Amino acid sequence: MSFQEKNITVSLVNFTLILGFYLIRVFQMVQDGSFNSTNIFRLWGITIVLAIIVTILATILTHIGSAIIHAIKTGEEKPDIEDIEDERDQLIDLRGTKITYVVSSIGVFLSMLTFAFGQPPLVMFSLLIFSGLVAQIIGDISRLVLYRRGF
Amino acid sequence: MEKRRINNNIRKLRFFHNEMTQQQLAEKVGVTRQTIIAMEQGKYSPSLELAFRIALAFGVPLDEVFSYDPDTKSG
Repeated sequence: MSFQEKNITVSLVNFTLILGFYLIRVFQMVQDGSFNSTNIFRLWGITIVLAIIVTILATILTHIGSAIIHAIKTGEEKPDIEDIEDERDQLIDLRGTKITYVVSSIGVFLSMLTFAFGQPPLVMFSLLIFSGLVAQIIGDISRLVLYRRGF
Repeated sequence: MEKRRINNNIRKLRFFHNEMTQQQLAEKVGVTRQTIIAMEQGKYSPSLELAFRIALAFGVPLDEVFSYDPDTKSG
């Protein structure tokens, strides 16, 4: 598994956990009757901040972890891990980003549709962040599939 | 999976260049080893610039490394 693949796998796990956290919180709110705009916007903030912090930390930790594992395997003092990004990596990333945008655009459209059909704005906002997280997860999965397939 | 139109002799050329490893070739042309593997397996067609860099690394003309098969369907 290349460094890029490890990074994508870590991102996939992170966003799946964040999506899980988000869904659990939303269902808890619906169950105990606290599903209101104040709580949903707070959850929005927490989810976005969590996504940013976790992504940065995970990238750093993946880099350090890869270097340590490589050093143990090869016994090199200054491990030279393969973290360069070449044209194939860039093409795969581009395709993954395209898939992420398509999925999130569909999500945004569906969210607007719920609003247009008379659902409260809370539903729209809940669906917006849900579709964003799902889009990121699908984008990561497609990147991993492309890496496994070659391109 | 459909075969690609662009074929290459990278594996053969590596063998005839003192059994150059995939890692050595990757370092010479500035890509990852995974990209060399994908090219050798016919799963990835490189850009024109990378194709020239590979030919240059082996010291042979481009058409000795890559060939185009118009009868094969694009993958």
